[in-house]
Amino acid sequence: MIRLEKVSSGIGSIDILRDIDLTVTRGELVVVLGANGAGKTTLLRTISGLVEVRGGSIKFDGKTSEGAKAHELARSGLVHVPQGRQIIPTLTVEENLAIGAEHLSGLGRDEIARRMEAEYERFPVLKTRRHILGGSLSGGEQQMLAVSRGLMMAPKLLMLDEPSLGLAPQALQRILAALGELARTGMAVLMVEQKTSALQIADRAYVLKNGAIVHHAPAADLRNDADVFRHYMN
Amino acid sequence: MSTANFIQLFLSGLTMGALYALTAKGLFIAHLATTRMNFGQGEFLMIAAYLSMTLLLVGVRVILVTVLVIALLGLKGWGLERIALRPLDRLKSLVGGQYSWVLTTMGVALIMQNVATLVWGKSSQYSPPLFSASRDNVVKIMGVGVFVEELLVIAAAFLVVGLFYVFLFLTTHGRAVRAIAFNRETAALLGIDVTRTTVLVFVIASVLAAISGILVGPIVTVQPHMGLVFTVKALAVASLGGFANPLGVLAGAIIFGMAESFSNYFNSAFGDLYPLLVVLALLVVKPSGLFGEAKADVR
Repeated sequence: MIRLEKVSSGIGSIDILRDIDLTVTRGELVVVLGANGAGKTTLLRTISGLVEVRGGSIKFDGKTSEGAKAHELARSGLVHVPQGRQIIPTLTVEENLAIGAEHLSGLGRDEIARRMEAEYERFPVLKTRRHILGGSLSGGEQQMLAVSRGLMMAPKLLMLDEPSLGLAPQALQRILAALGELARTGMAVLMVEQKTSALQIADRAYVLKNGAIVHHAPAADLRNDADVFRHYMN
Repeated sequence: MSTANFIQLFLSGLTMGALYALTAKGLFIAHLATTRMNFGQGEFLMIAAYLSMTLLLVGVRVILVTVLVIALLGLKGWGLERIALRPLDRLKSLVGGQYSWVLTTMGVALIMQNVATLVWGKSSQYSPPLFSASRDNVVKIMGVGVFVEELLVIAAAFLVVGLFYVFLFLTTHGRAVRAIAFNRETAALLGIDVTRTTVLVFVIASVLAAISGILVGPIVTVQPHMGLVFTVKALAVASLGGFANPLGVLAGAIIFGMAESFSNYFNSAFGDLYPLLVVLALLVVKPSGLFGEAKADVR
């Protein structure tokens, strides 16, 4: 679904990512672990077209994607749920849900309504709150809304930037369960995380340190490898 | 003050208030979506007033004048964004670079003032009435004679204000504007073409100036420097509303129009001074504007 080869990127005069090789295939859930400042957010922003690629290549769904604009990639099925959820506080839950799907060409109102119902089934709390402003939701509800808003765009690849941030354990478990379920249905999921909780549901994991991939292994191996975390995540 | 005077002043205040609302909404929507605005908004209005007057004087029908002037000003809005605003994005990281749009939009305003002077001359002119046979057409309301033109300008202006509200809250493009108002990157990640939406915003702002210009022509005198006055008043109106929501802008405009109309009755020597003093006094009491909040709430 997505393949990064020797990708480098940065902001202004600062180089952040160096020679990143990373793949996520269809139906796979991959987590990139890294400490604060490792370059996790920049990695997702580079893939989604918000940060300029300075070297290497990115292929999404078989096509070269570096240089494409963020909105074009989003419309083609590369959906990025950014850090902090970025729920539009002045739109209702329903409007927040619909806004991404509304900009996909050829999507009728009936299809948007059908997708919305599917999201209400996934996270029923959103249905009870559909007429209130997005800014009024709790952190857990906002994260559910952010995931659902992305799913409304029927992504081929769903990328999430630290979805566990600020969530209570119960809310986090619900989100992780939903993401695991999505991968089983064939969607490619790429998450970046500081916490290791995502390893419960991930197939593979990468460890990112100072802008470079320093370790790559099946998630099951990393779950039991305390040394890796002491060494790389400290 | 007699009842007749009161009604006439009230309607006159409402008329000008509605026109200021249209102009201020152009500043509001541009600021909402881009944190920039067109300091030549008043000059866009002035050009629209001149174009409308010229076309009406040569006998073009009002409906065609409206379509033509709106189309031309919409094109001007596109050009403004493309030539005077978008190239400045690369200066954002420089000290003061994020405010360079102030200079370029003011520059465009000065160019338009001079072009208008060259084409139409310095003298003040009146545009023919839009809706009635003569500008002195009067109807009786509660026994008081009121200009038909004024009444219809109020109706048209409020209709456009209503349409603006519908656009912003009930259409896909309106929601896209509100999304980029929140965060341009988030909007892009949601598949919204931020560049196109920004162009749309400046086109809408220019269309609002065009409609104000068409409507204002028969009510005030048209002259090349009228734009600056409208820009200043629209800025005062939008500030009074708190630059926060379209209803705030409307309320600010009506307060301003009323203050202008009634203060002129008591003392017309200082014309525009009193409503601006009212705005200053209100902003001293509530610096974020009457409807302003710590963060913009477009609802």
